[in-house]
Order: sequence, then C-alpha cells, then structure tokens
Amino acid sequence: MMNDKNSQKIVDIIQNWARKHSIWVLAYGTGCGAIEIPPTMTSRYDAERLGVRGAATPRQADVLLITGYLTVKTMKRVIRVYEQMQDPKYVIGFGSCTINGGMYYDSYNTIKVLDKYLPVDVYINGCMPRPEAVLSGFAQLQKRIAEGRANGAQQYKDNLEWYRANQKKIIPNWIMPEYNW
Amino acid sequence: MEMIHIIFLIFLGGAVLTYFAGKVSKVLQDIFFLLSVLVPAYLFFANVGIGKEVTLTLGGITLVWGVNHFSWLFSLIVLGLGSMAAIYAIGYMKGKERKGYFYFNFILSIMAMMGILLSLDLVSFFVFWEIMTWSSYLMTVYNGHETQRIGIKYFVFSAIGAYAMLMAIVIVHHVAGSFMIGSMINFYPNMSLSLQIWIPILFLMAFGVKAALMPLHVWAPDAYSNAPMAYTSVFSGALSKMGIYGMVIVLVTMINQIPQGFWFREVIAWLGGITAVLGTLWAIKQDDAKKLLAYSSVAQLGYIIVGIAIGTELGMLAGLFLAVMHALFKGTLFMVTGAVEKQTGTTNFTEVTGLIRKMPWTFFAALFSIIALAGIPPLGGFVGKWMLYEALITSNHYLLVIVIFFSSTAAFLYCYKFLFGFFLGQEEKEWAHVKEAPVVMLVPMIIMSVLMFVLGTFPGLILKPINSGLVDLGYIDTFKHLWNTSIIFNAWGDHVVLQPILYYIIAIFVFFALFLTWKGHKTTRYVTTKDISSSGEVPAEDENLTFSVGFMQPFLRAVAPAMRRQIDKYYTGIADGLESLFEFMRRIYTGNGQTYAVYVIVFVVVVLLFKSVLF
Amino acid sequence: METVLMDILGAVVTFLVAFVVGMTYGGLSRKITARVQNRKGPPWYQNFIDAFKLGFKKSAIHHGVMHHLGGAFLMVSSVMTLMIVPVLSHNNWFPNLNFQGDLIFLLYIMTFGPLGMALGAGQTGNPNSAIGVTRGLSQMVGFEIPWVLALVALMIQYHTTSITGLMAAQAHSGTWLMFSSPFAFIAAVMAMLGMFRYSPFDIVGAPTELASGPVSENGGKYLFVMMSSGSVFTFAKLTLYVDLFMGGADNLLILLVKTFALYLIPMLYGMTTPRYRTEQAVRWFWGWPSFFGLLAILQAVIF
Repeated sequence: MMNDKNSQKIVDIIQNWARKHSIWVLAYGTGCGAIEIPPTMTSRYDAERLGVRGAATPRQADVLLITGYLTVKTMKRVIRVYEQMQDPKYVIGFGSCTINGGMYYDSYNTIKVLDKYLPVDVYINGCMPRPEAVLSGFAQLQKRIAEGRANGAQQYKDNLEWYRANQKKIIPNWIMPEYNW
Repeated sequence: MEMIHIIFLIFLGGAVLTYFAGKVSKVLQDIFFLLSVLVPAYLFFANVGIGKEVTLTLGGITLVWGVNHFSWLFSLIVLGLGSMAAIYAIGYMKGKERKGYFYFNFILSIMAMMGILLSLDLVSFFVFWEIMTWSSYLMTVYNGHETQRIGIKYFVFSAIGAYAMLMAIVIVHHVAGSFMIGSMINFYPNMSLSLQIWIPILFLMAFGVKAALMPLHVWAPDAYSNAPMAYTSVFSGALSKMGIYGMVIVLVTMINQIPQGFWFREVIAWLGGITAVLGTLWAIKQDDAKKLLAYSSVAQLGYIIVGIAIGTELGMLAGLFLAVMHALFKGTLFMVTGAVEKQTGTTNFTEVTGLIRKMPWTFFAALFSIIALAGIPPLGGFVGKWMLYEALITSNHYLLVIVIFFSSTAAFLYCYKFLFGFFLGQEEKEWAHVKEAPVVMLVPMIIMSVLMFVLGTFPGLILKPINSGLVDLGYIDTFKHLWNTSIIFNAWGDHVVLQPILYYIIAIFVFFALFLTWKGHKTTRYVTTKDISSSGEVPAEDENLTFSVGFMQPFLRAVAPAMRRQIDKYYTGIADGLESLFEFMRRIYTGNGQTYAVYVIVFVVVVLLFKSVLF
Repeated sequence: METVLMDILGAVVTFLVAFVVGMTYGGLSRKITARVQNRKGPPWYQNFIDAFKLGFKKSAIHHGVMHHLGGAFLMVSSVMTLMIVPVLSHNNWFPNLNFQGDLIFLLYIMTFGPLGMALGAGQTGNPNSAIGVTRGLSQMVGFEIPWVLALVALMIQYHTTSITGLMAAQAHSGTWLMFSSPFAFIAAVMAMLGMFRYSPFDIVGAPTELASGPVSENGGKYLFVMMSSGSVFTFAKLTLYVDLFMGGADNLLILLVKTFALYLIPMLYGMTTPRYRTEQAVRWFWGWPSFFGLLAILQAVIF
C-alpha cells in the first residue's frame, strides 16, 4: 500500500502530463503580436502537433496569451478574462512590450511590466517574436507544467492584494466583480 | 330528481349565487365558486353511472341526457381540467376587477360543456352549444374595449358554425322526424346521397370552428390570448375538445358508413396536417407567450384531428390520447403564463427574462409540460406522438407523416422559445422583486405535471377509458393488441416498453448528475448571469444582454415563403368587400326623406316618359 | 439477479467501448484534417488528453441548476441511443434495449439531450449560447426531414419500425439496404452531414463568431462530460447507420471498418466546403436530400 504522498505524486504526474500535452490558448490579440498567431497555428509551424489549440472563451482556456503591448483600457478586460479562466491557468507574455514596455517604454497609456498586474509564467522575448520563438515559449511552458513549477495562478491568489493594488493604480474607474476563488 | 339534474341545478344555482355573493364578501364568493365547480365534479364521478339516461320535458320537447363511455372520457377532461383551473382561478383572480362576471361565465362554460357531452338529443345539444359560445365570448371580451374586435371575430365564426349546425338539425328533424342523436345516426344510411354528404359537412363546420381547423381557425389565436389565462387553460384545453368530440361522432357514426367517406377523412386529415404546420410556424414567430401558446394550441389540435380523421384504431387512440395530454400540458402552460403575468405584469418574451431562480416551481411545471408538448420521452406527449406516427405509417399516409413530423420537430423551436423567454437568460434587476406564484396557483400546475409524468410511463391508465369509449362507438377492443398498461404497440407488432425505459433514463440521469455534482464540489461555484465571458466586458447592472428580439430569425428566413400568405387577410378582404358593397347600398338608401322623394319623382317621370313603351 | 448484474456490466463495457472509439475517431479526424492541410497534426490520442485535462481542471463555475445538469441531459440522450442501437449481433457483451424501443422512439430520445443542453446553455445568460442554440435547433429541423423520409421509406418497405426488424430483413435478403434502397441511403447520408455538425453545417458553434456557441460558458468537468457524450453519441449514430444500411456487424473489427468508412463521409466533405448560414443550411436539407428522400418513398411504395 502506497502512502498518500506517493499516490498523490503519481496522480500529479499524470495530471501534469495531460495538462502539458493539451494547451488551449486564449489568444488575446492586444497588440501587433496577434499577427504571429495565425502562422504559428497553421500549416507551416503547426502548433497543434504539440497539443496547442485555440480556445474560444476563457471558460475553456488554459493559457492566456498576451500578444504585445497592453493599453490601460485593454488591461481591464484582460484582467477580467484572466479571472474568468478556470484553474489551473497560465499566462504567457508575448513580445518585448510585455516585459519592459518595449518600444512603448515612454508611452502614457500602456503598461510596462505585465508581471506587476498578472502572474506571468513564461515570457517570449522579441519584437516581434517569430513563430519559432512562440513554439519554444510553449515548449518552455510545457516543461514548467511537467515540473509543476507553472503556478502563477497560485501566486496570484496568494498575493491578490498586491496585484489588486497595482491594477487599481492604473485603472481609474474600477467596477469589477470580486475575484471569487 | 335524478343526479344529472341535480348537477346541472348546482351549476346554474352556483353561478348565480357566486355572482351575487361578491356583493357580500370576496371570500364567500371564492368559496361558492369553488364549491359550484368541485361539488358537481365529485357528484358526477361518484354517483352517475355510465349508461344512465334521464329525461326532462320542457314546453313539449323532451330533452334526453345520458352518459356513455365516450362522453365520460371527455367529461374527465372537462371536469378534471375545470376543477384544476377553478382552484387556479382563485389565486389568479385575486385583486382583479369583475370577479363575479368571470366566475359566472366560468361556471356556465363548464356547465355548457357538460351539457354538450351529456345531451342525447340535438335540441339540448344546440342549446348548450350556444351557451358555451356565449360564455366563452363574454370571457374573450373580459379585458375591455380593445378586445371587442377580437370578440366579434370569434363570435362571427361561432355564429356561422352554429347556423350551419342549426340547419343540419332542422334538416335531420325534417327527414328523420326526431331530434334524437341516436335516431339521426340510425336514419343516416337511408338518406339521399346529397344529404349524406351535406349533413356531415354542416356539422363539421360547427365542430371545425371550435376545434380551430384550418381555414376556420383565425379566431383562435386572438381569442385564446385575450381571455384571462385562468379561463384560457379551459378554453384551449377543454372547450376546443368539444369540437373534437363532435367530430369524432360525425366521422365515426356517419361518414364511415358511406363509400365517399374515405375522401372526407383524407381531406380532413390533410387540413389537420396543414393546420399543424401553419400553427407551428406562426407560433415560432410570436413574441408574446399568450399568442405563442394560442398558435401552438391550433397546431396541437391539428395533430388530434389528423389522428381521429385517419380513423384506424391506433389513429383514434392517438388522437384521443393526445386530446387528454393536450388538455393537461396546454392547460398547465396557460396557467404558467398566467402566473408569470400575475407576478410580473407582462407576458412578452422581450421584456421578461431569467425568472428560473425566482419562480422555480412554476419553471418545473413549465418544463414538464414543454417536454410533454415536444413529445420527448419519458413524458406523456411521447406516447401520443408515437401512436400518431405509427398510425400514419401503418395506414399508408406517407406524406402526411412527414408533414406531421416536420411540424412536431419545428415545435421544438417554440418550446425552447417559451422556456428561454420567461425563465432563462440573464437575470435582471428589473425583475429582482419577483416572487414565486401563490400556492393556490402552484398546486394545480404541479398536480398536472405529475399526471403527465405518470401517463408517460403508464399510458394504460387513460387508454383504458379511451378504449371503452371507442368500443362504445363500434371499434374493436384493442387492449393487449395495441396497448397495455405501460406498453404500446403498432399494427405491425413493433412496440415500446415504457417502464424499463423510464428506469434507464432516471438511472443514467442520476448517475451523471451525481458525477457532475460530486466531482470537485468544493471548487465548483455558482456565479451570476452577469459574470459571463463577453469579451472581457463586465455587463452593467442595468445592461441586459439576453438574446430575445428576433429569436428564431434564421429559421423564419428559411420558411418565409410559406408564411407570406395569411388566411386572416383573405377573410379581412372578404369583410372589406362586403363592407364596401353595403356602403354602396347605403348610398342608395340614404335614409333621407328628400332622396326618397327624388326617387319617387324620378320613377314617376320615367313611367310617364316611357308609358307608351311600357304599357 | 445475476442477469441484471451482467446486463449492467455489459452496459458499462458498451459505454466504455463507445467512449474509446468515439474519442479515437475524433482524434483521427483531427489528424486526417491536419494531413489534408499539409500539417503534421496532433497524435491520434489527442482527444483523450484533452478530455482528461478537462476532467483534471481544478475549478468550475455554473450559472444555475439547469446549466449544472446540462451535461447529464446530454448523456441521457447519447447513452440511451447507444443502448437502443444493437452494437453487435450475437454478442453477450453488448446487451441492448432494442426490444423495448423502436426507430420512432430513437428519433425522439435523440432530441432529449440537445434540448436539455439547450436549456443549460440558455441559463448561462450568455447571448452567444442562446444564438447558437437557435441555430442548432433550426438546423435540426432541417436535417430531420430527409432523415425521417429515409426512415419512413425503410419502414414501409419492410413493414417494421424496429431496428432489429430491418437488420433481419437485410440478413434475410442477403443485400445491404444501402444497395436495395439506394435513395434512402443517399438521403440519410446527406442528413448525416448535418447531424455530425462538420463544415458546412458548423455554424452552431462557430468559434470566432459565437465563441463556440452553446458551450461557451462550460469549462472543466462540464465540458468533459459534454465531450464524452459527444464521442459516445458519434459512435451510437454511426452504429445505427451501419445497422440500418450496412447489415450490422458480427464482430468489433468489422464494425470499426464500417463505421469509420461512414465517418469519413462527413469528415472529408467538411474539409472541402466552406460554411453555410443557418437558413442556407436549412434550405439545403429541404432541397436535394429531401428530393432523394421522396424518391426513396416512391421506390418503397412502387416496388
């Protein structure tokens, strides 16, 4: 008879394996990066062979893909979408703009560091990142999921107040339902 | 004094007493009303034996009343639904004006229907038929002046039907020398061919109006939707069945006896089929629950007419079973609509949404009756539909079965529209105050839902009286041959065993319901209907995203050519034509003395001028 | 008692087989689509991974009781269909209830699930769901006409409304119904295109337009149940077609070959066609498919 810890470990491995090979992406086309998604998904690069597939609504999605710069106005919607996704969920920051603002580093209405507002699991660098880079980003995410290290959602839950404070700082009229899990 | 006489006396006395009791106390009025419906119902089922006949001589005419198995079946519909609707009406009419008027006409309608069913002679049949028409007409115009036009439409059609019937009765009396229905039937084979054809046609006109058979149905949608809902459940559920009752008698006892009868029945069956299709299509289009249900009633009566018109044993069973089911589910649906109307003040789908959490029991009743209406197992509607299809297929009506199937598949669209429009969709602040309907209204709905459920598994309970009624009419006994307590057969011996199917459905449903509930129950949350994935937007409190305007538009676009013509428009055209004719006549007969003087002068002048020619 | 237990065990086995086969077919369809589009495509077991992942989702939300039970309604419909359709002839491991229902019953129980599911979708309050439902129901009215025409043709030709009766008729005459009643087969296959909701009849859950329509508020376990139900239903429908038109199957291998051959029709047709609007789809079904259905009835009446 195995003890609980070991059986839990085996279950975790199976679960993570399934999660790793089935990644449903909600591609939130915030900026110019959205143009790199079609080539990634279609015949030339074919992300579906890795189990990566588009999802239509946040309820079904596993990964929120922030493609490029994120204006303050869009920020609110992105937060909403992220909070509507079901656990476990991951965020991929796509392009330089999500890392440090990129070419919009001095813009008044885009956010600079995505990590301050949403728990990013994997960043994909580049301006634009080519489909190869996007695929490698997904591979990186898969690796992290398999190792059980892609726990951004947990981080968000634990540090909700800090994230909320950051979010409220840039969004003036905050009318949002409470984050209820 | 015979029990049947006492029953009618209670009805009449109760109606008058109820009317005047309102002057004393509202509660007393309610009690009188309930008693004058429920007591006769109890007395009838407890004390009146089948096969009993009583006579009453009034002014030289002998009126004969009696019960046979067939009229007992319809009495079950009338008194059963009548009692339920009466209980419901107490809650529905609370706080409304002109309660005495409503109660009086309600009781009179029930009495008239019972009178029609018990009449064995044509005179009392006709008299009760007229009382029924009058009381239902008065109910149609209950809501005031705007409804006058609608009332007139209903009344004109009823009057045409009634005169047709009166004509037939006079002819029958002339040739047969008796007002008895039995002697008319016995004399029928000896009539001349033209009479053999015309008398059923005249009777069918009268019955077709009440059964809303196309093209005599145009009054139905308006009249059903404008009467108070507590009455409409009887109006659509039981009163229209009087037309079916008459039709069955005419079809079975008269038309079946002549060789031309086959074409008669084919024509009526096809009219029924077309009624079903058009009723369904128009029901899909309606945005008002009352109208939707009214058109749906027309369509459902179409199925019943198809069943009784093809006239095989299975067809008759199907038609009559559907008649009982229709009384149950359409009665319930009109009650549901009434409950929603009472609690929210409107029955428009584009205004009311998301009542499911506020009125759960009403939703439950609506769900059951919709499942029954759509004919989905394991509820009773399925049994009727199944028997109807099998009857059509086994009696070589291949195209009619497609027509009926189309109509009943398209019925899903308005079924869904009804449930979605009232109960599903986003919950709105505007309706946050809505409470569940009062218990007195809920109880009849729930009882009828449970009955539908029981009949879906044990249709034999109601097929037994239907069978006895059919045996009375001269059909063979079909017990164990076409039906058993919970098995239904077709003429080829294929069958559906309903009981295990119910258990399987329940087992599968419960298993997966438990699975869905148990799995991850700690992390499953209820969220409001405002918390939906709408492109990251948060709908504001007063922002309503429910999709309810132009609900079935894609389908309606596909069937648009079939709906371009409306029979109503032709009637309006005829009416307009007649009106202009009379207008022209009125220009001649102006009612002005001087004009008439001119006419006289002109006439004299003409006579003088042409006297050589004329004389 | 023992027979009841055996029946329950057999039902579970049937369900599992249907689940596995349906899921595999779904995966193969994705693979084949990918190959046609000159992609490598996901592995054939991708649908299993997706389903298990959905099952392993930690949290879930629902908008009320009808939404919560939508999947259960759907499952009733697909499992009942599976139980009514004879999976294999002469095999104890696949008991079925065919002696307790017939084709008309089957037609109606097949609509039980979609309607229950539609109620669930309605309760979410998401307008996309309701729009998807109206499209789905309209399309259903469309394809039911040729489908019923075909079935009625078969019924009147062989004077039976039960599936086993039709299978017996095929066994007796030695030819499959798809050859002896070709028009009925054509009409039924055309109706099948709509039943499987592949392109061009996939406007119901158009992902970019309606955000996947009726299921747009379902995630996690709810989507898992719906996906499983869809797989089981796919298998049940294909088996029904095989029973009706291809004489049934004696063992699992033959059944798989026949069902997969049938499954290729809507799949391959879907790859080559763009999407119809709802009213176009409905009218398409009332055009040529219904014409073939009428021909089938004519054939059944005359011969």
